[in-house]
Amino acid sequence: MKIESLDPRINRAALDADSQDGILQEMDHFQTYEVFEQKKRGTHHVHVGSVHAPNSELAMMFAKEQYTRRGACVNLWVVKTSEIFVTQYEDSDIFENTASKLHRDPNSYKVMDRIKAFKERQKNNA
Amino acid sequence: MEFTEKHVMGLKDLLYRMADDLLILGHRNSEWTGLGPILEEDIAFSSMAQDKIGQSLALYEILHEIGESEPDTVAFTRNAEQFHSCHLVELPIGEYDFSLVRHFYFDHQSALRMDMLAETVVEPLQMVARKFRGEVKYHTMHADSWLKTLANGTEEAKIRMQQAINETFPYALGMFELSDYEADLIEAGIFPGEAALQEAWYRVISEKLNAFGYSVPEINNSIPSTGGRKGHHTEHLQPLLDEMTEVFSIDPSADW
Amino acid sequence: MYGNAYIENNGQENKLTANEDPQKLAAFEARIAAGDKIEPHDWMPAEYRKQLIRMIEQHAHSEIIGSLPEGTWITRAPGFRRKLALMAKVQDEVGHAQLLYSAAETLGKSREDMINDLINGKSKYSNVFNYPAVTWADSAVIAWLIDAGAIVNQLANSKGSYGPYVRALDRICAEESFHLKYGHDNVVFLATGTPKQREMVQDALNRWWEPIMHFFGPSDKMSVHTEVLMRWKVKMGTNDEMRQTFLDMYVPKIWDLGLTLPDTELKKNEETGKWEYTEPNWDVFKQVINGNGPCNKERLAVRRMAEEKGRWVRRALLQKDAQYVAPLS
Repeated sequence: MKIESLDPRINRAALDADSQDGILQEMDHFQTYEVFEQKKRGTHHVHVGSVHAPNSELAMMFAKEQYTRRGACVNLWVVKTSEIFVTQYEDSDIFENTASKLHRDPNSYKVMDRIKAFKERQKNNA
Repeated sequence: MEFTEKHVMGLKDLLYRMADDLLILGHRNSEWTGLGPILEEDIAFSSMAQDKIGQSLALYEILHEIGESEPDTVAFTRNAEQFHSCHLVELPIGEYDFSLVRHFYFDHQSALRMDMLAETVVEPLQMVARKFRGEVKYHTMHADSWLKTLANGTEEAKIRMQQAINETFPYALGMFELSDYEADLIEAGIFPGEAALQEAWYRVISEKLNAFGYSVPEINNSIPSTGGRKGHHTEHLQPLLDEMTEVFSIDPSADW
Repeated sequence: MYGNAYIENNGQENKLTANEDPQKLAAFEARIAAGDKIEPHDWMPAEYRKQLIRMIEQHAHSEIIGSLPEGTWITRAPGFRRKLALMAKVQDEVGHAQLLYSAAETLGKSREDMINDLINGKSKYSNVFNYPAVTWADSAVIAWLIDAGAIVNQLANSKGSYGPYVRALDRICAEESFHLKYGHDNVVFLATGTPKQREMVQDALNRWWEPIMHFFGPSDKMSVHTEVLMRWKVKMGTNDEMRQTFLDMYVPKIWDLGLTLPDTELKKNEETGKWEYTEPNWDVFKQVINGNGPCNKERLAVRRMAEEKGRWVRRALLQKDAQYVAPLS
């Protein structure tokens, strides 16, 4: 039975209502690429999502319209998802900064007190 | 230089052929929206269809400034014989091989035409051509990526694509049907002419097709499908227009 | 564009989490209670994963199928402004499907499997898209009110607990605001236009009112299951809450245009602050969701056709060494 549609595009396609077509096989929609966008020169590229694509060239063509069709963008990166090495969330304790690492923290360097005391001593000695 | 009546007629003809081509092809390509071969491509193809319709609007606006009716009236109330579009753009969308090859042929033409018009003496047209260069560049990159990738694909794909390249070629040549005002346009510095454009286009598409591994259709063995520029169309244009204007013509004086 | 997920109300709380490690479960729930997000490779209860896949997948299907009723008018939009906007809107729906399928993929179901379940009728999509867009005015009513309903739902869901879904929804909500404005503008032009235009939009509104009331789903039975899903921030509000929010925001705007709604009982009870209405026919809703709506067959046949037409293209592009890995986030 042919489908009668209100959509002229669908009528032109003369669809069979009982068709069993269209079933997808594995990899039919390819691998995925992660997309990084730079909104303006001087800023970092930021991850915005992914696209399915057969190769990096088409991944770029797809990413451009899926992620930058609104708003500013000056540069785009795409990279195969499978090539990104990631940390596991269960290991996120490796990022904890403990008190013993204060030597990396600019706020842990407080020299003004020392300078003040030094000046005080000099004044008294004079 | 001072424009004569012939220069103005020639300019209008040029603007109409460009605007009508872009409107009709943008309309045709929008038929793929929601039905494309993969979601990501669906989105990209729809963007390019929107770009084309946006470009046609900008050109109809120039026409309006030089005395033609408003863009909506011009686009939504004329009959087929009043359209200056070429046959290539009015053909049904067919399968994706044809739609891609049409996209490749048309957009390389469009990019080269915009490049030429970026130097035209007609200021508003020059501005439009410069404004849309980036858009059209993406369109050609997109078409090239597809043709290149499919050339390296399955045997079926290569055969289908080569066939589409060959069969679409005479229609593509119809894009360059000479204008009655060819000499006037060149003389006034409005446009270097369809013949010059065709030559540049054939050089570009030949290089690309060769590089991708397709064979290039012979220009001398092809009979261009012409007539569109003079209002003689295939049987596909009038039904397209009837459909496009169905709602608008419920009441053309209403605000939609 | 999406209403509420169709959640099976079965099971008891201890059954839902019986096989889970109590310590991990406690840490998981504490994270959500603290307002933190769950990310793809985090430990999560099997039921959380299952319900999220079902929900995000239904949402994605609703976008791709939702592009069809309005797509009915894509080649006939009157005038440049409408033509361009409708093309952009239908394109956005496809874009939203792409984002949502990706979010669902991070939970372990491939896009191919999801699409197969859609075209085989195994997984659902929003019921409202099984109705036809009879005239141009239907496309205007859909763009305004169905998108409005979807935004109510999506804004709530964007406060949910699953990172990838939340990120996709943030992007989607931003785009939906264009849809809503476009839809409203379109309805306003018809409602304030010629008598013919006004009649078109009133007819469309009459046709779409019941599907819109159905859109948010039947009143929730507050089962144990629903409670767990709300605690896990999978479900962010009851169907009735969403429906009330929608009525509160949009009925006054509809009446303001001098348009009427076919439910004569519809009014706001000023004492309770709640909207009262005739209960929509839920038997019809069930009929439609089970495949017997006016357009179910067509919608799925179109999806089958699109995948089928693209088959040779995709086969040609597939590289031998290609390897699928779920998107990262």
